[in-house]
Amino acid sequence: MRYALRKLGLLVLTLWAAVTLNFVIPRLMPGSPADAAIAKLAQNGPVTPSVQAAIEAQLGVPGGSIWDQYVTYLNNVIHLDFGVSYTFFPQQVSELVAGALPWTLIMVGAVTVIAFVLGTLIGIGAAWKRGTWMDSLPTVAGSFLSAFPYFWTALLIVFFLGYVLGWFPTSGAYSATAVPNLSWEFLGDVLYHAALPAITILITSLGGWILGMRNTMINTLGDDYVTFAEANGLRGRTVAIRYAARNAILPNLTGFGMALGGVVGGSLLVEQVFAYPGVGYLLFNAVTNQDFPLMQALFLMITVSVLLANFLVEILYGVLDPRTRR
Amino acid sequence: MTRTARSGRRLAAIAATVAVLATAACSAPVQNKGDDSAAGGATSMLIAADNGSPTFDRNFNPYSSGKRNTTTYMYEPLVIINEMSGEETPWLATGYEQPDAKTVVFTIRDGVKWSDGEPLTAEDVKYSFDLVKKHPEMDLKGAWSHLKSVEVDGKTVVAHLQDEDVPAAKILAQQLIVPEHIWSEVKDPVTFTNEEPVGSGPYTLDEFTPNQYTLTKNETYWQADKVAVEELVQPAANSELDIVNNGYDWAYAFMSDVDDTWVKADPENNTYWFPAGAAISLIPNMTKAPYDNVDFREGIALALDKQVIADKAEQGYVDRASQTGLMLPNQEAILDTSIPNQGYVDQDTDAALASFEKAGYTKKGEKLVDSSGKPLKITITTPNGWSDWLQGVEQVKSQLTAIGIDVTVVQPQAAAYQKELRTGDFDMIMGTVGGTGQPFQDYNGLMGSEFRLDIGKTASGNFGRFESAEADDLLAELKVTTDEAKQLEITHQLEQITYEQLPMIALFYGGSWGLFSNKNFTGWPSADDPYASPKTWDSTPLLILTHLKPAQG
Repeated sequence: MRYALRKLGLLVLTLWAAVTLNFVIPRLMPGSPADAAIAKLAQNGPVTPSVQAAIEAQLGVPGGSIWDQYVTYLNNVIHLDFGVSYTFFPQQVSELVAGALPWTLIMVGAVTVIAFVLGTLIGIGAAWKRGTWMDSLPTVAGSFLSAFPYFWTALLIVFFLGYVLGWFPTSGAYSATAVPNLSWEFLGDVLYHAALPAITILITSLGGWILGMRNTMINTLGDDYVTFAEANGLRGRTVAIRYAARNAILPNLTGFGMALGGVVGGSLLVEQVFAYPGVGYLLFNAVTNQDFPLMQALFLMITVSVLLANFLVEILYGVLDPRTRR
Repeated sequence: MTRTARSGRRLAAIAATVAVLATAACSAPVQNKGDDSAAGGATSMLIAADNGSPTFDRNFNPYSSGKRNTTTYMYEPLVIINEMSGEETPWLATGYEQPDAKTVVFTIRDGVKWSDGEPLTAEDVKYSFDLVKKHPEMDLKGAWSHLKSVEVDGKTVVAHLQDEDVPAAKILAQQLIVPEHIWSEVKDPVTFTNEEPVGSGPYTLDEFTPNQYTLTKNETYWQADKVAVEELVQPAANSELDIVNNGYDWAYAFMSDVDDTWVKADPENNTYWFPAGAAISLIPNMTKAPYDNVDFREGIALALDKQVIADKAEQGYVDRASQTGLMLPNQEAILDTSIPNQGYVDQDTDAALASFEKAGYTKKGEKLVDSSGKPLKITITTPNGWSDWLQGVEQVKSQLTAIGIDVTVVQPQAAAYQKELRTGDFDMIMGTVGGTGQPFQDYNGLMGSEFRLDIGKTASGNFGRFESAEADDLLAELKVTTDEAKQLEITHQLEQITYEQLPMIALFYGGSWGLFSNKNFTGWPSADDPYASPKTWDSTPLLILTHLKPAQG
């Protein structure tokens, strides 16, 4: 119990630090939101003085002293009120985030779970049959594929599967004419559109799970208790899963917890390449347009989920491994 | 390819997806947006006029900076001005008069109806002006920096100006008009997103989803007989791949290697037109040495081969810019023919060195040095990520280095660049100059003392802080002159000043990137018939939409 309380205290402290940093960092960026909006318009041609004046009036500059702004900000954060987005004026930030979050959670979240499960299973198999083709094939392929940068794989996939072969749509989360509803037809459409970004993330993240699991498991397999279990004449699969893998999975589980926490941040580059309307794309827009309110809401959401995921993993660790409780 | 082949392949693709995602199998007929294009009917048109990022939010408030681009296909101005030539087309007003330099009288067109059937009246026009007075955030055209009051007189609307201000008429004429009977009920017009727009234009909003929306023809439109396209389909996703792949009728996009991409996709029908926009220029900071020295600025201009810079920056799609600041050839009619070579400054290294010498810089070995022997160093600012400008600047750098100047290029983020431009925090900075097609606005924004603020203050024009009593006098005179011949004469003198005193060093014309298909509709603007810019926002698309004809055959 004392262990959990101590961890909770630490969580609150890091949360406060994160919230405060989140307030400070966007304000260190040069140029005001109005400057960013004008610069965006200027890409299409000159911006007349009257348009500049109207945009400044519309977006304004954060008023009051820094301290006042900070207090207002803290109060708003507690009420989950992040105000109006500058880029998508006059939309509410909370609405924008709510619109983008499901797509990221479904696409990136599902792929993260699949990659973890698949990678871990392959890793177990590879370690158990170490030295055979069942080991070398996934190990070599895994390290090869995970060395590709995300965006590069994404570009290759969108070009070949989407453009040259035309098998998959190159952008969007569902067909242009479809209306979101709970039907098999719509679900199929969503899966069809999620395919390319999902494959990209799967390809680039699978290798890490395979290698992590395989390497820890090989260490574990050398331990005395595994030899003992084998000497007792237990079935191979029982030894592999219940003795070796169960102990070897701990580091992968930590990684999984953190990866799940990071899911809400979306996958910026992949979403960008496939024009997938998730959190990553929203974040990209927010940053390039100096959209303080939107940026703050997104960064906060990402930080909080990573912190919470870490907290849960630590608590879980305390349960699984009594030594950490001291 | 046949319909069955395509759906069969799609089924295979879905099956693959399902296998990969390890989820329950299902076969869904998926609609490809390419199928919705005008391929068959020729009454519907697929456009890339508006880019969702990545989806659309439903904002059709004509006075909001975040509105959907197509809002201006539903709300119309009094007069449409083709900014490339300055040519005017009367629209909701049948015309305007300027009885004196302080008054503009607009005659409102008869028989125009809002899309809900109510008549459009002079009262609506007055209301629209008063609305943006009450909410300066919505005054995107800057009407009330010129207006004193607006009154209705029968079928005319009389605008009383603050001063003698002839060019103001063109600014007021571009005001978008909204229906009073609807907008007077709106609580906060600034944040109003106008989800069910009622306008006077040729189109009304039909279906809207975040991924695509359609506009259908307004059958009661006041010139409905000129509108050939029954339906405009606007998908949110229109990357370059989508545009080339999906058979668009009209797209606005910079396309690398356009002949091998866009044109190749349908060589018989696909065309493009990339006319000159505002001049992209180097703006010197004329509050400090040596940039305040006209000989120095002339040296820079003579040292550069602008066509090479233009080709590097825009892949050969645009031409070098005339030092008069005019957009040629479209503004040829107002060009002063006494200016040599149409104001194009050719590269001439010897003349450049002579100018630099007059400015106090002489060649010592490979370098240009001042009287104390210190080498000449300049910094050029250009926004990060605007790769075409950067390509141009890199070329400027190599040409200036060749003549013996040390050039540093700095690339702040776009917002920071904008701030440095406006507060005068630069040596030389890349920027666009002119572009409205209206000489007073363009030259005032370039040289007017009205915009000249001290370094550190946020200016909205004359970023180089150019100072010329002569230019100010000419601008003041142009502002109050109703005589057109006199206006032209003053414009010629302003061109002379720009050419001789170089408040900016014009490099190349910014392009407008119009991609058109003649498959379903013809009559697109082109170099032979430049009746409108190919751009898809603001009011000039109305000219295009009332100009298109169904393709023959």
